[in-house]
Amino acid sequence: MLDEAWFGWALIVGMGVVAFFTRAVFVLPGSHLRLPATAERVLRYAPAAALMAIVVPDLAMTQGALSISIENPRLVAGLVAFALAAGTRSILATIAGGMLVLTLLR
Amino acid sequence: MREGALASAPQLIGIVPWGMVAGVAMVSAGLTKAQAVAMSVLVFAGSAQLAVLPLLIAKAPLWVMYATALVVNLRYVIYGAVLAPYFERLSRPWRVLLSYITVDGVFALFVGKYGPDDARPHKHWFFLGGSLVMWAGWQTSSCVGIFAGSLIPHSWSLEFAATLALVAVLVPLLLDRAVVCGAVAAGAVALAAAKWPLNVGLLAAIAAGVAVGLAVDRLGVARAGRG
Repeated sequence: MLDEAWFGWALIVGMGVVAFFTRAVFVLPGSHLRLPATAERVLRYAPAAALMAIVVPDLAMTQGALSISIENPRLVAGLVAFALAAGTRSILATIAGGMLVLTLLR
Repeated sequence: MREGALASAPQLIGIVPWGMVAGVAMVSAGLTKAQAVAMSVLVFAGSAQLAVLPLLIAKAPLWVMYATALVVNLRYVIYGAVLAPYFERLSRPWRVLLSYITVDGVFALFVGKYGPDDARPHKHWFFLGGSLVMWAGWQTSSCVGIFAGSLIPHSWSLEFAATLALVAVLVPLLLDRAVVCGAVAAGAVALAAAKWPLNVGLLAAIAAGVAVGLAVDRLGVARAGRG
């Protein structure tokens, strides 16, 4: 459990506001706001960059140390998951395949 | 509405395992069951939820988690800009409802089926039908993860499934070379910055990813202009 309950609630409510804001910012005004082309590019690169920045250290590091080798089961399973996601576009296949590889390697 | 629901139903195959993984991950990151349910309902954005949980475990400050959720959710700003002309004739409550319930899969279906000037009056019902199926599937599977997650043995390392779910969300975003280069740069910076305080490393990685993406994009435009 978290030390302080308010922290969890502050996180949830704040994220709720953020999630609603990103979805509603253009739909709700209903006017003919248009997104400038440069802004649209930044908006395309940022989510992929953020997700990579979270996923990559989780796969390529073991207990805080860089671990890029075939002996790192998380890295191998992660790479298989990338291939599965690219090939099948299926969340189920990606999760199931990655977990299977991780289990087999251990 | 039925048509939209039927069209989006196949996507439940992806939503259900994702929701279960998110449900388990929220509880094991330290949220109470009530908080996890509230997060599922209020935030209703699986990738942002899963992205924030490692930060919660690492005790990152609140603003870093808000910023991360914002960045991961920025793709919805683009969806919103595309959807705005479709929905501009609807009443405000309708627009609030459809904004809240927008998800990637239904957006793609809807934009693929209707043009912005399509005069068919009931297209928003198609959107709502598809979205409600996704919403119900997400909330149900999240709850299964939240309340039944403790039955799963720890040795299965299910927290790894949360990382895999993010991989599955990430890969379809890698549409062209510029996005791929940006994402690779972000991953590399995140590794290099792993010893830095968490907030600085993550933000530096995102900034590097956007910068490299833009640079590669410029380069491509310049080359196409010459050729």
